[in-house]
Amino acid sequence: MKKKVLVLLLPGLLFLTAFMLVPIVITVGSTFVHDGAFTLEGYMHFFGDTFFLKILFTTLEVSLVTTLMCIVLGFPVAYYISRRGRRQKSLLLALAIFPLLTSSVVRSFSWMIILGKKGLLNNALIALGLIKEPMDILYTPAAMMIGLVHLFLPLIIITLVGVMENIDPDLIKAAESLGASRFSAFRKVIVPLSVPGLIIGSILVFVGSLTAYTTPALLGGKQKVISTFLYQNAITLNDWYSASVIATIMMAITFAVIAIMNKIANTLNPKG
Amino acid sequence: MALLSLEKVSVAYENQYILQNFDLSVEKGQLISLLGPSGCGKTTTLRLIAGFLEAKEGKFLLNGKDYTRIPVNKRNFGFVFQNYALFPHLSVYDNVAFGLRLRKVKEPEIRQRVTKVLDAVSLAGFEQRFPKALSGGQRQRVAIARALVIEPDLLLFDEPLSNLDANLRVSMRVEIRRIQQELGITTIYVSHDQEECFSISDRVAIMNKGIIEQLDRPAAIFKYPKTEFVARFIGFNNFIDFEQRSDSGDEIELKAKDRIFRAVRHPGMSGANGRKGAIRPDDIVVGTPEEIEAGVGCLTGRVKVSTFLGRSYQYVVETELGSFTANKEMESPFLSGQEVRLFFPREKLVLVE
Repeated sequence: MKKKVLVLLLPGLLFLTAFMLVPIVITVGSTFVHDGAFTLEGYMHFFGDTFFLKILFTTLEVSLVTTLMCIVLGFPVAYYISRRGRRQKSLLLALAIFPLLTSSVVRSFSWMIILGKKGLLNNALIALGLIKEPMDILYTPAAMMIGLVHLFLPLIIITLVGVMENIDPDLIKAAESLGASRFSAFRKVIVPLSVPGLIIGSILVFVGSLTAYTTPALLGGKQKVISTFLYQNAITLNDWYSASVIATIMMAITFAVIAIMNKIANTLNPKG
Repeated sequence: MALLSLEKVSVAYENQYILQNFDLSVEKGQLISLLGPSGCGKTTTLRLIAGFLEAKEGKFLLNGKDYTRIPVNKRNFGFVFQNYALFPHLSVYDNVAFGLRLRKVKEPEIRQRVTKVLDAVSLAGFEQRFPKALSGGQRQRVAIARALVIEPDLLLFDEPLSNLDANLRVSMRVEIRRIQQELGITTIYVSHDQEECFSISDRVAIMNKGIIEQLDRPAAIFKYPKTEFVARFIGFNNFIDFEQRSDSGDEIELKAKDRIFRAVRHPGMSGANGRKGAIRPDDIVVGTPEEIEAGVGCLTGRVKVSTFLGRSYQYVVETELGSFTANKEMESPFLSGQEVRLFFPREKLVLVE
């Protein structure tokens, strides 16, 4: 029995080893070797470079703000969806997932039309007399955040709905019968019980934003993030060593974020 | 003057009335049960009192104050849910303290009150446990403690014991009754379990299709059901439609197809003006035509079905007034098709509406 299971695991395992584990090890390993000797030079170079640090900082900032905005926007929507009947729920979830089904290139171009200097948003604001001069939104970190929130909101909604629909509706009633207002029942019961979904959703959004390429490339303009910087090093400058170092840094940040989030989850939800 | 009264209350769900012109009054300190089959409106009534549902028409008064439009969280009623509804992310202590913290009670007083109430439900020492680590009975007691600690004006139970096993149900209902009487707290208790309701209540309301068929002391209901529905619900399986009745003092003479029956008028017999006779299977005397002499209150028929119940045999007997179910303890049972005679003792035959 046990041997059979192992045999079944083998194809997938081989595939992952050959095409994921080995390339990663080679890429990461290569960053510590220069002219046949161990070195940290690549890393020292980047962390001593203010240009790179600024890109790193912008990337983290964009990812963090995107995650927070997804939480703030997604939480009430997810709660609403989780309290609907089965048919309505499936319909609403399908609608929520819809952005994920469109190509990120098409989606980003739509945002360019909306956010540009002569785009829909600026025109509308000027027509309403709210602003005199068109605002610079496109090709700024703000544009990236908008595009990324649009892209990743479905992820946090899906994960939150999954957790929230398992919260017994009687808990809200119990809290209310004990004197809680709707809002404080929500804050003291629904929010803490949604933490597991919130953590998973946040990891997905944060890591997704950190590694996203198309959206920041199209909406960010000259403003670089790590992923576009990596692309530039590898493809435009053909500097594969620097690209590997950047890739390793990205990976390290990703793992660090997951570790921190898990730590937070354990403090907030000790029994989980 | 009743402590609680519902006056001509209506509740509708998607344009269908669940309660219509519903009246109920409860005296202070009493435990009253709402009992009935599912869909009879008992849970709706309880949720209306709790404030989870809003009345479409009518009034809900408590202590003379109009509560109809007061929201749940301003009512100060303790509610005990069927599935306990304990907060899974909070310890027993924090679950019980939940209502007190919302009332901004100071932490030392909270500690004292939580300790006292956990003591009352025999859960001292369980403060730091989480609901997941408790048995069903313990969870139920936490739920009761959580409802009691806020010193509620009313205590409401929604089928609190239906998720527990049989033995625990019996000991928990004794516990609930004890706590309720010790604190003298007015309580409304919903259940579909007769024995449970009858054993713990001061008064029981039997509900059917959104109305109260009968509201009385448990013993009174058990002995003298008012309507056919109540009679059927509590085990009067046999009914006779009488065509004529004539009363002389406490004696009532009844006629169906020229057969004469007698019943006794008892002051507690609430459906005594009806023309339908009801009797329990245990109360019909069944025997061979040789054993029972024909006469008033007798009916001859043939055994259709015979079932062994353990202590006794149950017979379905086909007669000219329909079929009757009668139980009898005996060594060798009657056979199917055998002729038997049924006797309806006049003190056991109850009239219902």
